[in-house]
Amino acid sequence: MQKYATRMGDGFRVELTEDEIKQDIEEGTNDASEKGKIEPLSKDAQNRLLEIFKCPDKSVGVERGSEVILSYDSGTTKFKRANVSVSKIQSLQIYERLIGADTLELAHIDYSFKPVKPIVVFEQPILEQALLMTIPPLFYGAMPNLGLYSQPDGPCENPADLLPKGKISEARESYEKQIEYAVKDMVYVGGQMYEAGADGINFDTTGAAGDAEFLAALKAVEILREKYPAMCIQMGMAGEFVLGMHGELYYDDTRLAGLYTHGQLELAQKAGVTIFGPTVNIVTGKSLPWNITRAVTFTKACTDIATIPIHACMGMGVGGVPLTLSPPVDALTRASKAMVEITRLDGL
Amino acid sequence: MDREKLFKDAQDIIIKCDNDRVEEVAKLALSEGIEPLEMINEGFRVGITKMGDLFERGEVFLPELIQSAEVMKKATDILMESLPKGIDTKRGTVVIGTVQGDIHDIGKILVVTMLQANSFEVFDLGHDVETEMFIEKAKETNADIIGTSSLLTTTMKYQKELEDELKKSGLKGKFKTIVGGAPVTQRWADRIGADAYAENASTAVREVQSLMGS
Repeated sequence: MQKYATRMGDGFRVELTEDEIKQDIEEGTNDASEKGKIEPLSKDAQNRLLEIFKCPDKSVGVERGSEVILSYDSGTTKFKRANVSVSKIQSLQIYERLIGADTLELAHIDYSFKPVKPIVVFEQPILEQALLMTIPPLFYGAMPNLGLYSQPDGPCENPADLLPKGKISEARESYEKQIEYAVKDMVYVGGQMYEAGADGINFDTTGAAGDAEFLAALKAVEILREKYPAMCIQMGMAGEFVLGMHGELYYDDTRLAGLYTHGQLELAQKAGVTIFGPTVNIVTGKSLPWNITRAVTFTKACTDIATIPIHACMGMGVGGVPLTLSPPVDALTRASKAMVEITRLDGL
Repeated sequence: MDREKLFKDAQDIIIKCDNDRVEEVAKLALSEGIEPLEMINEGFRVGITKMGDLFERGEVFLPELIQSAEVMKKATDILMESLPKGIDTKRGTVVIGTVQGDIHDIGKILVVTMLQANSFEVFDLGHDVETEMFIEKAKETNADIIGTSSLLTTTMKYQKELEDELKKSGLKGKFKTIVGGAPVTQRWADRIGADAYAENASTAVREVQSLMGS
């Protein structure tokens, strides 16, 4: 029986028969449907995915005219991680002129709002220079990163120390205090960089520390939107599901813990976000047909209801791309093609 | 009172994190002649297992799970007190931690909570734990199992280092090992020679029980 090359979520190469791929596609969409209480993909969409996975080409792409915007996050930190010695502005020029990026993003190496606060005056002139030397919209990006507001990195007691001791109310109080600190930092940095000329602010990996972090980001967006009505605000999420680390936090009467992609989008829209990036994490023990289909199903639940552009987060361990240090091209292009063709989103 | 009703009450108490009723129901069970271990296994433990499943499905969250575990501990303490002294009811001893270079703790905390709620004695070494500390603590506590968690692809190698060190020191048979963490898979566990792999906290309890032969 003919087998088709694919991978597991950890990047391990495997070969599956057509029936096995079909089964994984069906199980992947059903998993998303059951967990997110959303519609599974239609049979037509499942068959289209099957064709993508059966295609013998190493890399695949979309038809002419179906291309979408490519927005890149944390653009000025990634080359440095690969030990390529380029400046921030050179990084942005490489993204613009060599990689084909449609938007650019300036970022500090720590990539969190809190550490940018004391150096924002050093970031502003770099942004001004970059604006003069590049053409695409230029974002300033960072992560809310609530972990930096608890000990040992911040002033609040660490909920991860309090929770195992059964100190639930103390842990919740700590999260609530952290929200206040984080909102101040995000509003300050976002406002400063916007006033220096940034075309937009990106809240990246939002909700990584759970529901408290998501609430902090929503509040910050709300404040920035009111102060700067024309500001473009992009919000990329940390996962398809908001972890209930606090458990009792609400935004506009909606409990944040346990929200899946489409629920996250609705609140982000309400708060004033202008581009939303749904994120679906990889399950390493499942195949790519399972993972990509699951990610597409969750993302489609967003594109079906969105009133703002959707740019799905795709990369190491998210959006159906395997959790490997360098995403394999066969997996990355299949995940991208599937996202574009099935969900009809606006960007990656 | 109907035994089945008492078991059901015990499950509900755990699921609703009802700290106020736990003592009443545990004592009522004893006064009705139900064996303490039977009350734990058929009542309270069924409840905590259901809580684990609800957590995995995203229907309850971390604080509720921890509150349930606290209620479970209170129930277990009350019921165990009624047993004659000298009877050891613990199901095994586990030394656990997040490996060196990795500070991600939450998943491991859940595993600790669920293991404790299921009557395992657990020594939690925290995060960023050096390989030799796992071995030293396991020797000191005469542990049955060493559990390691790793969230980063760059720190998974320390799970292998533990296996290598255990083999080198002739302790591989003495301590069973279980591995977990987001990038960790059954294939990784097989490759490094770990005895078990758990995808989440509920599976960890099942795997540890299986390693203990219970």
